[in-house]
Amino acid sequence: MIVELVDPRTDPEPEGWTAFVAARQLHPVWEFDLLRIESWLARNPALLAVVRDGGTITAVATALVCRLPLTARFARPGSRSLVRPGWADIYLPWLSGFPGIEFAAGSDVDTRVAARRAVERALVRRLGPGLLGVVYRPVRPDELDIFTGRGRPIRSCMPAAVLRNEWTSVDDWLGSLSRERRKSLRRQQRDLAADRGVVTRGGPARTDLDASELATFVEAHRRRLGPLPREVRTPVSAAYLDRLVRRPDVHTLTYHDEDGRLLAVNTMLDNPVCAVKQHWAARARADGGRRHLYFDAYVRAMRYLTGAGRPLMSSGTGLEAVKQSLGFDLHVRHMVLAPRPVLGR
Amino acid sequence: MGTSLSTVLWQLTYRAVVRSAFATVPFYREHWALDGRTDPVLVPGRTGRHGGAVDAATVLARRADLVPLAGGEAVVDPLRGLGAVLRRVEPLRTGTLVAVFGADSAPVDLPRGVRGWAVRPDDDVDAVLAQARGPVVAVGPDKQLQLLPDRPHLRRVPLRELDELDRGPHGLLVHPVLGVLAGLADCGRWHVDRTALYLRETDAGLAGTVLRQRSPRLVDTLLGDERVRLSACPRHRGPVLTPGLAR
Repeated sequence: MIVELVDPRTDPEPEGWTAFVAARQLHPVWEFDLLRIESWLARNPALLAVVRDGGTITAVATALVCRLPLTARFARPGSRSLVRPGWADIYLPWLSGFPGIEFAAGSDVDTRVAARRAVERALVRRLGPGLLGVVYRPVRPDELDIFTGRGRPIRSCMPAAVLRNEWTSVDDWLGSLSRERRKSLRRQQRDLAADRGVVTRGGPARTDLDASELATFVEAHRRRLGPLPREVRTPVSAAYLDRLVRRPDVHTLTYHDEDGRLLAVNTMLDNPVCAVKQHWAARARADGGRRHLYFDAYVRAMRYLTGAGRPLMSSGTGLEAVKQSLGFDLHVRHMVLAPRPVLGR
Repeated sequence: MGTSLSTVLWQLTYRAVVRSAFATVPFYREHWALDGRTDPVLVPGRTGRHGGAVDAATVLARRADLVPLAGGEAVVDPLRGLGAVLRRVEPLRTGTLVAVFGADSAPVDLPRGVRGWAVRPDDDVDAVLAQARGPVVAVGPDKQLQLLPDRPHLRRVPLRELDELDRGPHGLLVHPVLGVLAGLADCGRWHVDRTALYLRETDAGLAGTVLRQRSPRLVDTLLGDERVRLSACPRHRGPVLTPGLAR
């Protein structure tokens, strides 16, 4: 197996990347240009690993190269090895609940383990003596065999909320919820419909949005909630969102008040396998924010999901109880740590 | 602008600010990494539009992204640098009151012993001026300064915009984003405060960089008037702004 490590900031798109992403039906965040923008605007930029076996791509991975200490600086372009201590986080920014490594469809466990080992050896060669280890997160329970082994501790991660679409309409879905949740959602829908002060717009490939405003809004929301555990991402950038929301497979829902102020925004990544409710941000109530918008976004997402017949929808991590009340199941996710001595084994 | 030591140091300071902005400020990182820039080129092969300079409207629209990753203010002060430039064109001795019309807050960079006053529309200006014990320097738009009563120790320093470069005999040149650009010195030329501001030529006219402001970072903001040129003062040798011909 041959591993090609690509710095998306400066290297061209690897041959076969787009075809692999399309064949595996991966989410838009795997688009090379989005990864390029994300890496340029990151403190911990991604290094992409492409594993080939006889010219065919067998696995792709995004390894965030994280340095210690975390500083308030973007990563220096062109930096090759880790002089200071650091680690590689096999992690996909802005798609929580999904792994940062994807294998070719139909490949067996042995092939996947071989690909994982090849990636680790390539990272050791590329990142040099400062590489302390590799972190895989999240890892599905059925894939643990690929990543675990002697000297590779497993830790728990926040569970991912996934909804299996078994309905043909929103009313069907509402009917499956608890009486209390169903009543509150219906009441909220009535209240919002009667509120002339909230302007709601949604749809794919939005070109009417100010990405800078969106980025500022999303970051303000994230700051208000406080830092996430093991957060290695840099705030989402305007350039990234600008490209993301213009894609035909990205649906963006916005709520504005009568003065045109943004009240809430939600991006949903459409996908034939599993739609993903991605960024959610809302104005604080103290700053003129409105109630019920979070749940309204779910009702609208379910309207799309049931109409388009998407089999699954993921809404990432956090707020487990609320998501369960909306019909989501919590899927266990793990984190596997591979310290330097066991890399490549 | 020549190659004197002070000019070389001016350029080196500017380049350090550019590299720092590229490493820490989201807007410049995005703009120069994806589009490019010149002087210096930061990403090989990418030279960008207008050498990487941006217009004032874009800068104002992206204020939040001008704050470095370490945090800071996102407020653009339209009278940034007032104190530093003013003291080059007007003697500001201890006890002087600097009254600024049209400012949201009093200038913060005045010399020690000089008081600043941001004049509000409902302030009783006549009463304050009558009670002032020392000299008063009134800074603001011409129209407002003309309404002030004549007093022996009152000096008026009008704020000029870029299309008023040919007006005198004294004043401060202001820009809505970069703040106070220059002051009209005794030689009759608009002298740039090069300790705080760097100017470079681009194909869209001059672009200004505030050298000593942590947040928001203002780097290569186009002045917006392509006729304005940068040259050296034959008497004082510092950089001056002059009205030029339209391109």
